[in-house]
Amino acid sequence: MTPMTRTVRPMLNQKRREQFLDLMADTGWDLLLLYGHSWRKDFFRSLVNFNFEGPHAAAALTRSGKISIMLSHPWDHELLAGALDVEAGWAADFGVGLDRLLSGFSHAKTAIAGMELMEARWPDFIRRRIGGEPISATGAIEKLRRFKTPEEIEIVRQAARLADLGYEHFVNTVQIGMAEYELVAEVEAFLKTHGAEDNFMLIGSGGTEVFGMKPPTERRFQKGDNVTTELSPQVNGYYAQICRTLVLGEPSPNQQRSFAIFYQAQQAAQKFLKPGVNISDLARVQNDVFRREGFGEYTGPKYTRVRGHNLGLHVDENPYVLEDVDCVVDKGMVLIAHPNTYLPLAGYMVFGDTLSVTSDGCVSMNQTAQKIFVKEV
Amino acid sequence: MKRGLIAWNKDEISPAAFRRRLEKVRRVLSEQQLSALVVYSELWRSNQARFFSNYMPYFNRALLVIPLEQPPILLCGLTPRVYGWIRSVTIIEDIRPAADFATPLLQLASERNWTRIGIVDDQQLPYDIFKAIRSGTLQVVDVDSEAVFTPGEDETELAMRSKTAAMARAIITEELPTGVGNVDHRFAGVLEKRFRRAGVEDLITLLTNGRTPPAPPAGTVLEENYSVSLAVEYRGHWIRLSRPHATAEVLVQYGKQFEEFLSGMTAPSAAAAVASQHFIEGAATRPVPAVPRGEFCIEDLSGSYPYEAGSGSIFALHLEFNAGGKRLFYGDTCRHSESGLKPL
Repeated sequence: MTPMTRTVRPMLNQKRREQFLDLMADTGWDLLLLYGHSWRKDFFRSLVNFNFEGPHAAAALTRSGKISIMLSHPWDHELLAGALDVEAGWAADFGVGLDRLLSGFSHAKTAIAGMELMEARWPDFIRRRIGGEPISATGAIEKLRRFKTPEEIEIVRQAARLADLGYEHFVNTVQIGMAEYELVAEVEAFLKTHGAEDNFMLIGSGGTEVFGMKPPTERRFQKGDNVTTELSPQVNGYYAQICRTLVLGEPSPNQQRSFAIFYQAQQAAQKFLKPGVNISDLARVQNDVFRREGFGEYTGPKYTRVRGHNLGLHVDENPYVLEDVDCVVDKGMVLIAHPNTYLPLAGYMVFGDTLSVTSDGCVSMNQTAQKIFVKEV
Repeated sequence: MKRGLIAWNKDEISPAAFRRRLEKVRRVLSEQQLSALVVYSELWRSNQARFFSNYMPYFNRALLVIPLEQPPILLCGLTPRVYGWIRSVTIIEDIRPAADFATPLLQLASERNWTRIGIVDDQQLPYDIFKAIRSGTLQVVDVDSEAVFTPGEDETELAMRSKTAAMARAIITEELPTGVGNVDHRFAGVLEKRFRRAGVEDLITLLTNGRTPPAPPAGTVLEENYSVSLAVEYRGHWIRLSRPHATAEVLVQYGKQFEEFLSGMTAPSAAAAVASQHFIEGAATRPVPAVPRGEFCIEDLSGSYPYEAGSGSIFALHLEFNAGGKRLFYGDTCRHSESGLKPL
């Protein structure tokens, strides 16, 4: 079996470097630090796409375009130094490493993307080193990253294709009597075999007693269960996502009626999404379907989290698709619209595709059938 | 990512183990005249809150609050729809939603008339949470994690880590021969299936054909004498393991040399001294005469992170050997005990 994706060598994202340099010129920042840790590698990888073992990494970009990197594990250092022509060092004590990274930058106006994620002591080190207060660049960098480059969209497309294959494997593998965690083991193995760097996956099974998805438990699948999942394979750093609901056995009328509402809501979002619309309205068109059907109360935080979110180097990027989030959509955004929620008809259901915003609308990056899946038992 | 089975098997970790750990916390609280202790948790840094409560988030962040006299409270970034599940796999009953974490913590303190609380290694909190808590009027004291979080001295913790290490060694012994000629992604998939079906929560697989340190799979075919380096999390207990593909006889030899090297490191402090010199120099590796190829790497597994370069009471030692011009990696998770340094 040949993996469908190939991991690329560590690489600089030149387009992002140009954007970051423009931002630095506009804001007057002398130095931009992009910090990542094991859970949130995304700020670092937006400039230097290197999957470090960590737990920490930081890239410093100067106004002249020079990049220096600090890592926290010797193996990371050796791997990166051998692959990229940049100045790279490492330190077990990452505070010491940051101090070294910033030597020569006293009085530099320094901005940090991911500053909020840093251990609290490090911004203090940085403050002492640069002789001034560092500025958070998190919001500004997130805004730039929200719009993907053509190269990034192509990688997300590969991840979406892998999500499709992963879901096909999920459908083929699930069976009555199997435990949730056993199914997840099979799907994780499949995704890794086919080149996924990582995967974020939640699962739920049962009926009206199920209010959401979570990590897999020892519960064994039963006839009539809704089996819900959110698969999010990561390819070369970038996540795509798919949400689908499967019924073990013939769906009941309530399961069919319930899923029809989710289908209409997702379709409403997919038809609505285009440059110029607001994210708040993308949430509203989904929620309106539930309201029309008399299930408006199930669109709030008691029963659901978000109606979708952006995707990229982090699996849960902002903006979150909610009626109180004000953000204008534009070409290049990649997001999932998923009206996942609980309904009393048949319990928690999920349905969503990764959508790429084009110049006049959006296209689904998934190829999996948009339907409720049924597994004969 | 943590997405395997997250469970609490009370035959493995008894409620009494958590009671003992919390009693120690409360002794420290009493000595330092603190009303409660706050422990940070997130998807990756879940060791400490797991130690006290068995809470391991599959996403997001949380603060575990251990009051001097009442049961623990979880200020949780996850949706209330999963609180029932959290209660089923932890000792926690009182779970409260938290968005920015500081506000609910300050509210809780006000509700319970707390004026002085401790935070475990407060300088290691994420900057946004630290700043928000410190901006309030509550007096906050830094509590050194070593005063309360002592995984290297806890029998249950060591038993669980040993169980995890034994599981990893058994699976790797069986699967190593199947890797040669396989694409590394495929071998990673084989391991993923074996470990997750055994109930593992998280697995990180690094592989090398002997020309670089172990690295994430990259679509290359594994050759003779490849090495695998794993990070395995079972019931929240992390271990590291590195093994080269070699004959059983060669592996036994490497194992003996590993133990000899380990016995030469008389204490974690000695290991730390060597390691810190090694680290500060910034070199990827440092010659050590006792090891055939002369290179090694030490990781701390007793802190808040699953593993990081450095030394601690539970640590991983990876030695590097040379065979036919290839770099081979052999490593295990070890502990410091009264009788010296021993593999788990």
